[in-house]
Amino acid sequence: MLWVGIDTGGTFTDLVAYNSETRKLISLKTPSTPDDHALGVITAVKKTGIELPKITGFSHGTTVATNTALEHKGAKLGIITTRGYRDVLVIGRGNRTQLYDVTAVRPAGIVQREHIMEVDERSTVDGLIHKHLNEDQVASACTYFLSEGIEAVAVCFLHAYANSRHEQRAAEIVQKLMPEVHVCTSNEILPEYREFERFSTTALNAFVAPRTGRYLTQLADKLADTGLTTPVRVMASNGGTWPAVRMANRPVNALLSGPAGGVIAASVLSEALNIHDIITYDMGGTSTDACMIRNGTYGMNPEGMVGWYPNRVPQIDINTVGAGGGSIAYLEAGNFLNVGPQSAGAEPGPACYGKGGTQPTVTDANVVLGRFLPSDALGGSIFIDVKAAQSAIAHIAKKLKLSTEAMAEGIIQLAVIQMTSSVKEISVMRGIDPRDFTLVAFGGAGPMHGALIAEELGMARVVIPPLPGNFSAFGLLVADTRHDVAKTEIMQLEFSDISDIRRALKPLENEARERLRADGFDNDQIRIEASLDMRYVGQSFELNIMLPAAFTDTEELMEAFHRAYEQRYSHRDRGSGEVVAFRVTGFGTVDRPPLPSVLGGNDLAGSVRDKRQVIFNGVSKETTVYWREDLPLNTIFEGPAIIEELGSTTVVPPNFNVSMDRTGSLILDRKTTK
Amino acid sequence: MSKIDPVTLEIMTEGLISVVREMRATVFRTARSVAIYEARDFSCGLFDATGQVVAQSEDIGSHVVPLPWSVEQSLKELGDDLAPGDAILMNDPYRGGTHLNDVTIIYPVFHDGKLVFFPAVREHWADVGGSVPGSMSGTANEIYQEGIRIPPLKIMEGGKINNAVMELLLSNMRVRDERLGDFNSGMAACKTAERRLRELISRHGLDPLLASVNLNLKRSEKRMREKISSLPDGDVYYEDYLETFGPNGLEPLLLPLRLTIAGDKLTADFTGVSPQVPAPVNSTLAVTAASVFITLKSALDPKHALNHGSFRPVTVIAPEGTIVNVTHPAPAGSHGEIRKRVIACMLGALSQICPELISADIHRTSFHNLIGGIDPKTGREFVHYEWSAGGNGGFKGADGPSVMAAIDWGDLSTAQPSEVLESRFPLHIEWTRQGIDSGGAGYNRGGLGMRRSIMLTRGSASYSLLSDGAVMPPFGVLTGQSGARVESFIIRDGKRIDFPTPGKVGGFPMKEGDRLILQSAGGGGYGDPLTREIHRITEDLRAGLISMQAATEIYGVVLKDDNTIDQDASVEHRERLLKARPTLQAAIADFDCYKTVGYSRKRICRVNPADAQRFGQTIDDCIEILGPTGTPLRAWIEVDESVEAGQLPLDTLGLGVLGAEEGDDVKVRSLLIPVVT
Repeated sequence: MLWVGIDTGGTFTDLVAYNSETRKLISLKTPSTPDDHALGVITAVKKTGIELPKITGFSHGTTVATNTALEHKGAKLGIITTRGYRDVLVIGRGNRTQLYDVTAVRPAGIVQREHIMEVDERSTVDGLIHKHLNEDQVASACTYFLSEGIEAVAVCFLHAYANSRHEQRAAEIVQKLMPEVHVCTSNEILPEYREFERFSTTALNAFVAPRTGRYLTQLADKLADTGLTTPVRVMASNGGTWPAVRMANRPVNALLSGPAGGVIAASVLSEALNIHDIITYDMGGTSTDACMIRNGTYGMNPEGMVGWYPNRVPQIDINTVGAGGGSIAYLEAGNFLNVGPQSAGAEPGPACYGKGGTQPTVTDANVVLGRFLPSDALGGSIFIDVKAAQSAIAHIAKKLKLSTEAMAEGIIQLAVIQMTSSVKEISVMRGIDPRDFTLVAFGGAGPMHGALIAEELGMARVVIPPLPGNFSAFGLLVADTRHDVAKTEIMQLEFSDISDIRRALKPLENEARERLRADGFDNDQIRIEASLDMRYVGQSFELNIMLPAAFTDTEELMEAFHRAYEQRYSHRDRGSGEVVAFRVTGFGTVDRPPLPSVLGGNDLAGSVRDKRQVIFNGVSKETTVYWREDLPLNTIFEGPAIIEELGSTTVVPPNFNVSMDRTGSLILDRKTTK
Repeated sequence: MSKIDPVTLEIMTEGLISVVREMRATVFRTARSVAIYEARDFSCGLFDATGQVVAQSEDIGSHVVPLPWSVEQSLKELGDDLAPGDAILMNDPYRGGTHLNDVTIIYPVFHDGKLVFFPAVREHWADVGGSVPGSMSGTANEIYQEGIRIPPLKIMEGGKINNAVMELLLSNMRVRDERLGDFNSGMAACKTAERRLRELISRHGLDPLLASVNLNLKRSEKRMREKISSLPDGDVYYEDYLETFGPNGLEPLLLPLRLTIAGDKLTADFTGVSPQVPAPVNSTLAVTAASVFITLKSALDPKHALNHGSFRPVTVIAPEGTIVNVTHPAPAGSHGEIRKRVIACMLGALSQICPELISADIHRTSFHNLIGGIDPKTGREFVHYEWSAGGNGGFKGADGPSVMAAIDWGDLSTAQPSEVLESRFPLHIEWTRQGIDSGGAGYNRGGLGMRRSIMLTRGSASYSLLSDGAVMPPFGVLTGQSGARVESFIIRDGKRIDFPTPGKVGGFPMKEGDRLILQSAGGGGYGDPLTREIHRITEDLRAGLISMQAATEIYGVVLKDDNTIDQDASVEHRERLLKARPTLQAAIADFDCYKTVGYSRKRICRVNPADAQRFGQTIDDCIEILGPTGTPLRAWIEVDESVEAGQLPLDTLGLGVLGAEEGDDVKVRSLLIPVVT
């Protein structure tokens, strides 16, 4: 078996491949080719020397959909909606975009108001037809759209989660009259209530579909032309891979395609390490992603947004903050110190890269402190200009009357504070204590800051996985296929029994199985999980309760809900419960490569590369620099230490011990609890 | 106080803000009423022992900024007697509150026996008793009709809830279980805050933490002082009105504001304001002062987090027993109306000295609509509370945003999903859209208001509206025009039923099949609509945001047969319109420019009958007078033969608003009220 995973980011295309015969894990980084990302992908494969016909599994993480949405480069969009609901996407929830600012504006929309057409039709909350669909009006909307050069159409009808007939019929008409154009309906994209959120998700899908679809189709074609015989799979926001052809029609599910890989990699690693509660911390150049994995399972985010627009398809609960290694530190009026969200990016990059950057970044601060001085930085392609880093930091240090070193530590501390807020968002804000978790730090800058983050949050252990710079690509190798199917239906437990629940779940399970079979899975490869969104009657916020396979009565369910509620809010309520949504997740399990095991060096001395002065908490200390590959296994040594490898540097502060285990992971343990 | 380096300062500040964010998350996830979880009509704040705002997050200015008065009053009444394990509950407008629905929990946190912080939660409870479901009656004449008053009292003492009081309160409110849920969510948030504050104190030490609080307050204060210093010294005046109705219709209540800028200090003086009235148009000092602060913050210092330091250079003078500082027993439910009108006055005054920093008037009212009753299908009580936002004023950089919460509303959601409302209430939301032409015309157009049709599908219900701005529209600035005013009426059996007192309705009986049409106000326009670029008018026409009639009559464009704009003809036509604007010469009035009507006074302007005829105005019409500042002075016309033709006598205040002197030309226009479709 030969697996290949390729994660295409804005700057680099990362590849990881595993050959089960040679048991070798290959990884490499090549520059991305933003004009046509497919080129970068093919170049990466070719560089490895792998013969394409031999590949048995090919998975891809892409930011094409994400960038199309964020950069507003999507299709010219037309929307057909229920009469009276033209302005749902314009009004949204009527929130202010900038608090305490009379000059607030609403960001430019993804659709022009004149391209939102109303037609007569209406369903009720119970799914009954209140007014029949006027098909002529749909047809004349199409005529108008054709004259306007519309490239994608979203059909968004009120209460379509409860009855999709009208939407389906309207979509058929559009497809017939506009055969070249992408069409989707709100029921197929997100059959859940709340019209703004559902319409917005559907519109986003249509907005990114033509471009993403084109990219995926062309990529698959080009790879096939080059000899690839296995289907291309694409990482979805829900943490499973989908066949590219399926994703091409529902690309709103690929908006987290990039960061999802890291979460999946971390959850596989956590199994191997036998650590089941982890927080992932993926720090890149401009942003940092955090995700919680609890009991081996990553959480899902019910409130995803893309800028001003809700995107509510099932997605991993990944919290992103705009702070990374390239984040720029600056002073605002009144000498407020700020770090980010502006970033030096790839060009010019941090001052220390000597490519013309002059503004101080987090990476420069690490250089000033002696923490980041790789002899063969990023594979030898970049040299580190220490003086440039120092003068960039000194420039703002003077204004605050601080030493350059103190300023550098300050910048890192502040960046750490901001990044911890992304971790808090998914833990503390959910009523979960991060101190019960292990931090798994990766991404280009993650290993340098992981220990600092852990310390700030009071976490005792940090794991730096192998190949930290390519870890997300590794996730692509090991991800299953996953389909989430859900339906809004309010059911009070008092008046229902277990057969009602089974009846509601059955069609969802069928749908999940059908999708997986269509994706090429046999029954014995399919695993089904069911869960319910539940709340106390009258309450707003639902908790997702996993349904045990063999549940027998609704009281059991109610008890499970009480427990979950109590865990989160530290009290239980006397109220009765209701189900708001039924959810089924189908997994298509793939053969996955095992985690590689490493042999390690003979002794610690053999892994020493260098010694240099490194500053921690204002004190400069002679610190040993180790080469990661040469570290002996399971040998604990004390911080401060710097561990270098190709493309990454791990910083072990003085109050941590560190060792490497057989998976090649570095385990950093805090010496004392503060 | 210990010296704190800038980095530690930021770290502690971030820590305090995250306490509030966590409180917010707790309320959001545990509350039970639609108002709280769909609309987020609640706020959390962290206060120091003297009641100053230390930290807040995406909270609602109208809740948080007045909270210090509540904390101060509670301290005054209970301060000596507070101990760990106590929690204060209050909503009394006469004693530091806003309106009765804003129920507040103030939770003292002690460290080593010393009171150090007050986390507080203010939630809009969907009902607190009183004469109508939802408690906000447009026709209340005493506070007793607005619900139950809770003076600052210990709802929890020594860690034990006072169940007798709790029971008494809940027994006086509709949908009691929901109210109990609201209370519990607030308490949960305060307890969370206490836990987190303890962690912060043990980590950083109390003194450095308090020192960082002070430093932050000082920094904000310094910034605000710098901003105020950059404004010219002197007085600037504006006046606006609230609405009540007498036997002969509108009886406007005068709200005059004099801003005095002296160096780095600013005083907002409401002396001369209407006395309080037995109608729901009164509010509290806390609300009035908060509105002054919110405007200053939003215009002068918009980019930084809010704390109380910004407000130290500001003094507010609001005489007791008036609509801006209400006392017992007048209704006090109109915080939303007083707030928006104080903001309007602030914008009107500032538009004369720093027009580049402000916007035109912002949708004018909080538009509290309530539909309540018993759903015959479930037999349960329901209250639907709807407060659709309107348009915001245009400003120098752009058109005003449409249907967006105003500056005093924080992150409040204002448009509720039809699919949620229809699943919970016996209501059918027929349509929800932007009201065409509701945005005030201008070089930069005001934002559009929201128009919604709500049908009662079964049983009967009671409709109440507590609002304002149903007669006087939001004003434009720099010659910009008025936005649409709020509107609400019933359609029954195909016939329109209007309410005798627009904007103020107390318990109108709705029948099955009745349709309620709601229109929130638009924003005022910024700059002269005749100068708006033709291509932007074309865009507005294409998007259906303005009608062809508005394009031709107000924006002065000429349409060709195919309804596209004739560029050349438009330029000429615009010039003609500009020249045809009626002009009078400002003169000094030798009479009182105000006339007493009902409880208060309104500005009048006397003109010669020939001029009145020339302008097409009739007696008792309200007009707008415009001078060099472009800020509209509103006045009611009176015909007076003794006034020389072509002259317009004004008092010094009026001339000041216009930026005009005796002998200058001033423009006169009717108070144009957009007709919304």
